[in-house]
Amino acid sequence: MNYSKSELHRRLRAVFESAGYRRYKMSKFEEYDLYAENKDFLVSENVLTFTDLDGRLMALKPDVTLSIVKNCPEEGIEKLYYHENVYRAAGLSFKEIAQAGLECIGKIDEYCVCEVLALAAQSLRTISESYELAVSHLGLMRQALEAAGLNEPAKKEAFRLIGDKNSDGLGQLLKREQIDGDASEKLLKLSQLDLPAEDASGEIRKLLSELAPQDSIDLFCDTCELLGSEFSSAVRVDFSTVGDLRYYSGIFFKGYIDGVPSGVLSGGQYDGLMKKLKKSARAIGFALYLDALDPLFEDGQDVDADILLLYKDNVPAAEIFKAKKALSENGESVCAMSSRPDNMKFRKIYTVDGSGVRRVE
Amino acid sequence: MSDIINIALPKGRLGDRVYEMFAAAGYRCPEIENPGRRLTFENPEAGVRYFWVKPSDVAIYVEKGAADIGVAGLDILSEYRPDVYELFDTGLGKCRMTVAGPRGFKDDRKKTLRVATKFANVAKDYYSSTGRDIEIIKLNGSIELAPILGLSDVIVDIVETGATLKQNDLEVKNTLFEVSARLIANKPSYRFKRERITEIKNRLTELKSKGE
Repeated sequence: MNYSKSELHRRLRAVFESAGYRRYKMSKFEEYDLYAENKDFLVSENVLTFTDLDGRLMALKPDVTLSIVKNCPEEGIEKLYYHENVYRAAGLSFKEIAQAGLECIGKIDEYCVCEVLALAAQSLRTISESYELAVSHLGLMRQALEAAGLNEPAKKEAFRLIGDKNSDGLGQLLKREQIDGDASEKLLKLSQLDLPAEDASGEIRKLLSELAPQDSIDLFCDTCELLGSEFSSAVRVDFSTVGDLRYYSGIFFKGYIDGVPSGVLSGGQYDGLMKKLKKSARAIGFALYLDALDPLFEDGQDVDADILLLYKDNVPAAEIFKAKKALSENGESVCAMSSRPDNMKFRKIYTVDGSGVRRVE
Repeated sequence: MSDIINIALPKGRLGDRVYEMFAAAGYRCPEIENPGRRLTFENPEAGVRYFWVKPSDVAIYVEKGAADIGVAGLDILSEYRPDVYELFDTGLGKCRMTVAGPRGFKDDRKKTLRVATKFANVAKDYYSSTGRDIEIIKLNGSIELAPILGLSDVIVDIVETGATLKQNDLEVKNTLFEVSARLIANKPSYRFKRERITEIKNRLTELKSKGE
């Protein structure tokens, strides 16, 4: 990546604000009860807690969505973005993890869904030209599994196998559950469907036509076509993209960047969570895991400041100020120092002395 | 990301058989057949780079993206639940995940059942589905010794032929699931090297179906 982390964060904020999303700032703490009642929604069940001075059990925020949803109004529509740190167990210890994302809460219509998906794809494209947004529809997949005759435990097992792209296992499960040949074949094909969004509609209609309501299929296909036309093959329909069914009910998606060994973005329609929190509104959103992007900043590409301005001891402070001001006119960060620090990285180095300002590296 | 596919193979007898399967599918690597002290083995023409790792570490190498694909037993995958795609059942390394105990042992539900195992998560999941109160004794090897010396009542472990159990007066009480070696893939690698990984999977599938 040829710009710094702070510049990436600025560009992501610009993407969110370009669609009218407002920044949502929140406290680092939240009452523990909120997380205790919704542990399954959290990436990790472990929450860092402490007792506040008034005796309340508090938690360092492990998640942003729950706090936003808790405070969202019942009427109208809220379009919010955030850039916050969350605190989660990762490996053998707790970590502070930087996360950016957005939430659209209220009367969600087809446009809102398409807008959030497009913003997710735009966010990924801001990070790298080599990206993929994998989109599925958990509601349609659930309806298809139910229509085929799978009971609740078998459905849960089927979702796990679909998420693993384990078609051998899914085939065995469908056989064991004595699912009819035609439905079984369609489910197997659906679980393996992994096509650019622009080419997926035909196959989705063919496979789902007898297993899910036509209007839901049409809506999903329209969304896929729109995204395909905007982002071509970088957006793919892939039904192995699955999330927790208790919370996510409709479109679900995950984002990947070439060179990053884990998913960097995850989101979807979480009407299930809204219901659990006794909210009548609907909601869709996504989170971008900024710390996962660290591999992209390796090899000395991430710098502490764009420019190092080296000055001699005898140069007046006013001259240094003037040179610094001139160099930072293009928005680049400038660090002025009298000697070159060993532990900092810069893109360019200038010197300022009695004869003026010169670039040396 | 380069186009070469990094493949983590499990060290040992199973790994040798897995490599033979890859070689027969067109991904032979002469370097690996004369290893010397090298740790990675590459065949640029076939577009593959192999490395041997401890069987229980294959899933970690793949999940963290150090390897694009790898082959790991379902026992390891069930225990560690890595976030990877499980693309294909190689059919190699077949065995069973079982509960075993002394011949004639009867489970007394009035007492907490002591279970010795390497597979703590598998054991926990199984007994929680049956509502049985257990104490897990986590061991790293020689699991069969635990009930013989009274360290545990039963064990949860993989059984291939059952010969070791039989020799030690133990028997299988219950089979939890069938185990075999699976081809797994790192999720982002799969997305950005889709064609190459799918080609490897298809060739292995074809080879397996020819052999059946």
